[in-house]
Amino acid sequence: MNFLIRAAAIAALLHITPIVVLVKRPDAVQALLPGADAYVAREVHLSGTDAHRLHEAVDWSPEDGVLVFYGGTVGSTSVGALEFVRVDTPHGPIEVAVGFTPQGAVRGVVVTKATVEMKPWVLEAVAAGLTDHYRGLRPGGTPGGATGIAGRAGNLAVYVAGEVDKGVSRALAAYGAFYNHVRT
Amino acid sequence: MLYDLRRADVRVKWLVTGLLATLGLSYVFGAAMVALYAGFTPQSVAATYAGAEMSMPMPPETTMVVQRPMSMADFAGPEVHTVDTKLLIQDTHVHVPMYGLIAAALGVVVVGLSLTRRWALGLIALLFAAPWLDFAGMWLTKLVSPRFAILTIAAGWAMGVAYLIVAALAIHQMWLSPERG
Repeated sequence: MNFLIRAAAIAALLHITPIVVLVKRPDAVQALLPGADAYVAREVHLSGTDAHRLHEAVDWSPEDGVLVFYGGTVGSTSVGALEFVRVDTPHGPIEVAVGFTPQGAVRGVVVTKATVEMKPWVLEAVAAGLTDHYRGLRPGGTPGGATGIAGRAGNLAVYVAGEVDKGVSRALAAYGAFYNHVRT
Repeated sequence: MLYDLRRADVRVKWLVTGLLATLGLSYVFGAAMVALYAGFTPQSVAATYAGAEMSMPMPPETTMVVQRPMSMADFAGPEVHTVDTKLLIQDTHVHVPMYGLIAAALGVVVVGLSLTRRWALGLIALLFAAPWLDFAGMWLTKLVSPRFAILTIAAGWAMGVAYLIVAALAIHQMWLSPERG
């Protein structure tokens, strides 16, 4: 009986809670591609070699081997691009939207989805200024969100900031290698 | 017979009733969660578990780009909740032990019911087989064919039916049967 109770407690602790939307995708798009009035989805279907290269660089393979970038324009002028990147954690997945300026620097980062369990950690990290630490980063740069908020937020918020760092690092690697370097 | 719930101490009956009520509540919310994230039709379950992996199993020889216009409404469109292989591994890892414990708890209730040996064995087999088949359906939907979504749906209903049979028999025998002690 003791074993059953312990096993039940462990199983309950390991249970992954459902995913909740923190910021709706249209709101994230408006924040990261401000003023855009037309959008295009650019799906990059990676070859085995390129997928392996990306995996070696950031220990990540996009879902189904497809990177999706969304570009925004005003008239014929580009206002930048953005990516939605998923990060699987032991507590379930989070989704991070990373926006780039036309010059290729990070314009902003929005955490769009998290599990019910991680939601308060994400909110605490964002309130501690997490997303400010990514602005201006370029491909090749190292995201330092977790380091940036350490001491200003709790351990779990710093932990989740590390997971957001992973998402930003994946977006930087993907954008740097594949956004403008593959012909349509 | 290990014990007989009809003649068990009222404290045991109360414990079993509490267990069944709690599991019943979790099953109701489990069904609500399935409705929210996967749905009850073979098409929606197949979309959740098979995803795009079924349509493009091999990467192209060279990296290629497909571009299409988007509207803001496309960003706002309903998103299909998908479970990829990694997430299904994680789900299987955390759900199967819990399902096993629930089946074991309900199985202990079955042992205390006044049933023929054959019916008791069949009911216990159903309690364990339903979650096995539920996850087998998810994996087969992902790896073999979206048609196996029907197996997941059938097994999910079987879990609910098995619970209802155990709960109805237990409540009847413990609190309503004229032979109760």
